Amino acid sequence: MTPLLVAAGVLAAFGAAVATGARDPRIASLGLAGMLVTTPFVADPLPQPLSLAFGAAAGILAAFFLFSAARRLAEPLEPPLGALATIASAAAGFVVGLGASAVSVPRGGPDAALAAGLAAVAVAVGPIAVTRDVFRLGTALIVLLDGALLLMEALTGTPDPLVGIAAGVALVVLAAAAGALVRGAVSATGATAIQDDPLAARAAASRSGTAPR
Amino acid sequence: MSVLAFAAIALAGAVVATLVRGRRHVGTLVGFAAVIAALASATVIRADHPLLLGGGALGGDAYLRLVLSLCLGGGLLVLIVARLATWQPSAPGVLLGGAAGIGLALGLAGTPAALLAAGAATGAAATLALASPAAPSRIRALMRELRGATTSTVIGVIAAAIVPATSGSGRVAQPAAAALVLVGMALVMAHRFGAIPLHARVSRLSDVTPSAALPILGAWLPAAWGLIIVGWAPAALAPYAPGLGPERGLIVALALLTLLFGTLAALLQDEVEHVVAYTIVADAGLALLALAALDPAARDAARGWLLVFAATRTALIGWTIAFRAAFETGRLCDTGGWLRRAPALGVALAGILVAVVGWPGLLAWDTRLAMLQSATAGPALLLGYAGSLGTGVAICRMLWVGAGRSSAAVAGAPGELPRLPAPSSLGTGSVGPDGTVPTDRVVIARESVGKVRLWLEAAGRNARPALEINRVPLRAFAVLMLAGLACLVAAGAFGVEAAARLPGLAALPSVAGG
Repeated sequence: MTPLLVAAGVLAAFGAAVATGARDPRIASLGLAGMLVTTPFVADPLPQPLSLAFGAAAGILAAFFLFSAARRLAEPLEPPLGALATIASAAAGFVVGLGASAVSVPRGGPDAALAAGLAAVAVAVGPIAVTRDVFRLGTALIVLLDGALLLMEALTGTPDPLVGIAAGVALVVLAAAAGALVRGAVSATGATAIQDDPLAARAAASRSGTAPR
Repeated sequence: MSVLAFAAIALAGAVVATLVRGRRHVGTLVGFAAVIAALASATVIRADHPLLLGGGALGGDAYLRLVLSLCLGGGLLVLIVARLATWQPSAPGVLLGGAAGIGLALGLAGTPAALLAAGAATGAAATLALASPAAPSRIRALMRELRGATTSTVIGVIAAAIVPATSGSGRVAQPAAAALVLVGMALVMAHRFGAIPLHARVSRLSDVTPSAALPILGAWLPAAWGLIIVGWAPAALAPYAPGLGPERGLIVALALLTLLFGTLAALLQDEVEHVVAYTIVADAGLALLALAALDPAARDAARGWLLVFAATRTALIGWTIAFRAAFETGRLCDTGGWLRRAPALGVALAGILVAVVGWPGLLAWDTRLAMLQSATAGPALLLGYAGSLGTGVAICRMLWVGAGRSSAAVAGAPGELPRLPAPSSLGTGSVGPDGTVPTDRVVIARESVGKVRLWLEAAGRNARPALEINRVPLRAFAVLMLAGLACLVAAGAFGVEAAARLPGLAALPSVAGG
């Protein structure tokens, strides 16, 4: 494991923490961009240059979708864990991942990928489980998926280019969906926080999305 | 034609249909044309050499051709039924986007890539269906779908990385890890199909999704997830099967609970859409049984059964759209005696019942029994067998309600007999202004051309009123075709049985192994 690999892993973990913990949605998008662009480099051996470029480009595009949605939001977000606790969770996940080498967890990839993947999963699970904010949910889902890709890399080694392409496409599609979710929430309620679904509203919502013939 | 070409056509169609969805007539024409083009390209997918792509492969086979053709063919019929009832602008885009995703997910070699494609397809289809027009209930449903699809992808990708579907990787997972992987994949399967206790998703989806988009979101995409997971499980976990007794028992117990309680819930529901949603929930139990078996024979049976499942649920969803449009309500308590007013819908529902249940020797029956026998024995088999007939029981209940006394909503509903609009005048024809008939050949020819032109104009004027007053019989006809398609699939037509025995690319390791 080289220092460069660890540095890339630290950057990815820090990006995950910023994406899920920052109060300003635009800073959260930038954190997400940092994570997604760094992720393809947390591999040993490094993928082919074309795969690296595709992964980085997909990461930038995915973050752009979230950034363009973030520009619509005027109010700061409330992180479910708090910014400091989020960074502490990421750090704890990273240390646990690095420590896994001491107990010889069988794997084919670098420890840094395992560490960054665990850090990403650690910070993403909370917002996914409890948040009602669609922007926070969208960023957390992307961080979770990217964390899973890092864990896969740690377990199986550098993935095939085809898996890299599929992962890039999945991240971009998820980011576009998250962007659409944010725009839809703002246009439907004027905010990104969606309250729980009351039973009566659910019954009345039947067959919506249709217009008379 | 390759899967890549099909996916390109379907994706382009999805984009164009989504862009023009705001314009009703153009949107209808473009949506239908795009679905027909995608259907035509799906029917000519060849089982030739897979396209080698970035260390992996993308290819098609007879089974993938069947999946995509039935998905788009059934989806097109549901679109026709829905268009004759109302205008659902997002439905063609959802169908095309979902079908393209299914094609890529099932055409890619290697489980992780296939799961990533299935997750992306689910997310994209849900977004197209629910993001616009925005409403809080739809946003909540989209949040649930994205959350579910992403977590399912994450669990699946990690599980497939821990225990890959190949022994050539040189890595052997610990038995405890294999047990966790099996439970994780069972959770993914349970969530995608809506098995109890994760059933709320399916019911709420049926509340807020445009009904013509339900077949792809509620049946075909879960079926694609099921195909990937059931294809992976015997190859990856069979070596560990002797040590996985408790976990397999847990999954079988969950499957039996789902079969029984799903049936019970379907029988308690009053809205026809909810009845259909809970039949999907009930049949999630069968999908779980196929996973618990860890047996190639059960996998082959599941590949056949999943086609029957998706085709019959597509037909049932089409039936509910026609039913709600005919009686302006979907509540069974308000539609007693509907069979007398809509006998064609009754025939279609009876046809769907036959396709769902089948009889010994029919593909629907044999595959279901094979899945049950491979995962259960003794009393559990009996229980599972009884539960597997739950969808049929729910359909019998709807038919029973239809045979009862007519309610007010039914008495006031239009009948299914086709009607003719009042004929338009075709003009005076060849009679001259002075009442004489011309004899000159040139004049006669000109008069004939004029008559044809007038007749075409009149036919054009009459087509719209004819369509307007015949929406009910046309819907009934389309639903009958859906039921017929489901019956054909249940009988094993189109070579379903032989195609189901093909291994499929998603079950195979990618070129580099994994």
